[in-house]
Amino acid sequence: MTALTARGRERASASPRPRAARRAARFKESLVGWGFVAPNLVLMSLFLFIPIVWALILSFQETKGFGDPEWVGAANYAKLLADPVFWQSLANTLVFTVATVPIELAGGLGLAVLLNSVIPARGLFRTIIVLPMVISGVASGMIAVILFYESNGLVNKVLQALGLDAIGWQSQGTPAMVSVVIAAIWLRLGFNMIIYLAGLQSISPELYEAARIDGASKWQQFRSVTVPLVGPSTFFLLIMNVIASFQVFDLIFVMTGGGPGNATSVLVTYAYRNGFQIREQGYGAAIGIVILLITLVFTFIQWKTNRTRDLVE
Amino acid sequence: MKLSSGRLFGAVGLVAASTLVLSGCAGFGGGGSGGGGDQTLTFTTWGSESEETTFKDLIAQFEAEHEGTDIKLNVVPYDQMFSNIDAQLASGDAPDIFRVDYGNLGVYSSQDQLLDLSDSFSDDEIAEFTPAMWEAVSYEGVPYGVPHQTDVSALLVNTQMVKDAGIDPASLPTTQDDAWTWDEFAAVAGELRSALPADKYPFVYNWQLGGAPRWLSWLFQADGTFLDGDTATIDSPEGAKALDFTKSFFEQQWVPPTSSTKGTVYADSLFTEGTAAMAFVGSFLVPDIDSLAKFDWTAIPMPRDERGATDLGGNALVATKGTKNPELAAEFLKFMVSADAMSEFCANTNELPTRLDLEGDAVQFKIRPDVMPVFVDQAATIEPGDVKQLTSPAMAAINTALQDQLEAAFIGGQSTADTLANLSAAIEEAAK
Amino acid sequence: MAQTTSVLEIADAELLGPRGAARVQRRRRYSSERKGIVWRTILVALVALIVVFPLYWMLVVAFSPRGEVFEPGLRLWPSTLTLENFAKVFDRVPVLDWFGNSVVIGAFVTALTVIVNLLAGYAFARLRFRGRNGIFLLGLATMMIPVQAIMVAQFKLVSGLGIYGSYWGVILPGAAAAFGIFLARQFFLSIPDEVIEAARIDGAGQLRIFLQVVLPLCKPLIAVLTLLTLLGSWNDFAWPLIALKDNELFTLPIGLLYLKNQTSPDYNAIMALSLIAVLPMVLLFVFFQRYFVQGFARSGIK
Repeated sequence: MTALTARGRERASASPRPRAARRAARFKESLVGWGFVAPNLVLMSLFLFIPIVWALILSFQETKGFGDPEWVGAANYAKLLADPVFWQSLANTLVFTVATVPIELAGGLGLAVLLNSVIPARGLFRTIIVLPMVISGVASGMIAVILFYESNGLVNKVLQALGLDAIGWQSQGTPAMVSVVIAAIWLRLGFNMIIYLAGLQSISPELYEAARIDGASKWQQFRSVTVPLVGPSTFFLLIMNVIASFQVFDLIFVMTGGGPGNATSVLVTYAYRNGFQIREQGYGAAIGIVILLITLVFTFIQWKTNRTRDLVE
Repeated sequence: MKLSSGRLFGAVGLVAASTLVLSGCAGFGGGGSGGGGDQTLTFTTWGSESEETTFKDLIAQFEAEHEGTDIKLNVVPYDQMFSNIDAQLASGDAPDIFRVDYGNLGVYSSQDQLLDLSDSFSDDEIAEFTPAMWEAVSYEGVPYGVPHQTDVSALLVNTQMVKDAGIDPASLPTTQDDAWTWDEFAAVAGELRSALPADKYPFVYNWQLGGAPRWLSWLFQADGTFLDGDTATIDSPEGAKALDFTKSFFEQQWVPPTSSTKGTVYADSLFTEGTAAMAFVGSFLVPDIDSLAKFDWTAIPMPRDERGATDLGGNALVATKGTKNPELAAEFLKFMVSADAMSEFCANTNELPTRLDLEGDAVQFKIRPDVMPVFVDQAATIEPGDVKQLTSPAMAAINTALQDQLEAAFIGGQSTADTLANLSAAIEEAAK
Repeated sequence: MAQTTSVLEIADAELLGPRGAARVQRRRRYSSERKGIVWRTILVALVALIVVFPLYWMLVVAFSPRGEVFEPGLRLWPSTLTLENFAKVFDRVPVLDWFGNSVVIGAFVTALTVIVNLLAGYAFARLRFRGRNGIFLLGLATMMIPVQAIMVAQFKLVSGLGIYGSYWGVILPGAAAAFGIFLARQFFLSIPDEVIEAARIDGAGQLRIFLQVVLPLCKPLIAVLTLLTLLGSWNDFAWPLIALKDNELFTLPIGLLYLKNQTSPDYNAIMALSLIAVLPMVLLFVFFQRYFVQGFARSGIK
């Protein structure tokens, strides 16, 4: 797309003008471009880039937050490598990501297909499913705490009323992780659905008509028309979901605080715990830098391997 | 509905502009407050409703007594209170006065962030406070704050539930002298366990949500210590005894499985909802429990082993080193711990005084005055030696280690020897 | 049942209307199609029910007497409807003042973010300048930073700029977001070249093209950006709590932390306040939903 634009523009300015004038025009466009970007760039440099560099510096220091910081070189990173809780938090982050992202994508697409088809009260259903999006992570976490409360929460009461055993949502590692995953999916499913819905609406009905005439079943139509054509949406959502899962904080912080044991401790909650709760700011910053690096690498691989990378480049 | 972008921009602008006018631009001033006249103090605290009301009332009294002074009370949520104070101290934006628990006070005083109050209190005035509590605001012999109130745990009992289990409520201990021994306590827990259904528990201990240091009460009861200077002393027979006993709470299912040190469920919630028959709870929760519990309950002393002990709760008030009005700040702190002010504060909030002249039944507590003497008596079991350890600057890091290691011991199956060795290492590392 | 059928028929008419061809073939499939509709409806309704239940539970907790939901015994609605939790919230939290603060901050963050993102998105999509791709990717990378990792540094910066404790301390960092640029760029790329070229040939400057030609085309984009930014700003509490020091300037979500107490949170009051806080957003969302889908559909994320 970008290439096309550029070519079009080349042609438009192909009139026999002296080179200097063309260069001046390009310079002017450059200037205009920078002018348009400047306000955003200033804000981002000030409040994002500088703090990132600052965090990087902090990760080579030992500081309680006040008083004089002390340079410790790579000691925080060395500590990180030897810290079992860090590795467990990393593993938990991966488990959480692997558990949430595919369900969010598949569920979102499934719901979008259903809601793009003919059913009564479509608008109402759509609104309901998207609604959790407006609830903050903290409020959602608290609703989840109330529901998954182990001794007298609704979920366990219902299980017991059905003759099943109560589940140790707050005392056992695996159920605790499951409860957090459920809450995260609840929160994000609507966003996935709505993006897919937007994607589906731009697929022309003729394609399905053609597939049908070729004798493709509903499932084959889904496989060979829908899935490939919502590729850009999938790509976008994959990145957004993975980022969100890697940065999950509010839900876990409110629901489990990383426990029981360290069963639901993830990188960001662990960074927060070190940076804010026990005043190991340097160590917390080092964990933050690691999170940043992992996400950057993931996104980079995505761009390199995804067929639809022209979307962003 | 047609939406033009121009109109949308206009609408957003209009809303922004009109709210700006409505709010009187107050929030756009930058810099913030505090820079005002030389008789002004900012006072940042968190607080429950009754604490907030009483703070306001006491400030009004102080302002009336000291003409021209202006104490600006800023009540913030407890969450992130100290992250914010840290950040403000680091950037020179700290309030003149703030409220701080005794553990965090040690961190600030050891980092030279607080105002030295040596000149403001004479020896006679210092002698008016419980020695243990004065120790709690001191670092290397220098007072860096005033002990505003304390708070200790005692054992609350759901009288109906113990009665149903065949225990006569009249036989419950009432004073330190007849407090249960560990064995008697264990016997009662065992009786309750066999009488209660599987989803009810004999008791719950309040070591969750940052309350891990409350485990140290058991260590102190066994006559153990955990820190001597910068040496860890926890890996001892007393430490093993305390840990074995508390581990058995989980093994015997005397406590709910959710109530370990990293649990997110509060002990008092488990008590008021009827899941636990007894609960170790601080006195400041008495008003809450009074309004929530739909059953009769009473308070009894903590069990004792070699000695009695309880946790060091409560908060101090401190002034920051950078305050522009050190004299006024000291004056205000002194006022807040005067007998009248402390008595009013404690009475309204069910918290405990730190002054010797307010011991016993001198404070007229507003809610459940009948159970409060148990807490007041319990507070006397805190010894200066306990306080010295509990207010060490290493306490913040030790708290984390306790949380992790106790959780591993209670529900992770970690052995007593490993747990004590790990704790010992962590304490040494923190105290270094 | 009769009613359901008529709804289905209307729905079918919607489907059949624009496509007149192959009607015979369709009639044969009609009954199987109808069965499909029933199944699909049941499935969607089931999901909707599961999704809406926690929200229903929020209402139940907000209107129940304190502590009731945690009492033993299965209960799916309050024994009595009470307003005591709301009374407590209004008593404890200056709801109206803080609501006002939330509105002011939300309006400024949103206005600033939307304007700034539109400008940048247009430049990235339509203007050629040295360093364009580099800056764009750098901007995208900022989306990957967890705020918790840089909060300390952000605070020191805000304090150094002298805006600590004022609305600006929340507004300016809040407007430094990259997501909108990404979205805006995709949207602008989807605008046909001819539209812009025509204006160019007419001799319009870039700013004029942007304001008079491009901007009127981006209503859905503006709606999406506005809604998402406002939502983020409205629900945020971690940063406002750090960047605002006086409680007169606090925003509504900070109230949740007040009610959480030092121990034993009052969940009933928390849900009551959550409800008050979330209601304006729900209304806004329901109202703008249509533009929301359009905005995404047109922004190339399709």
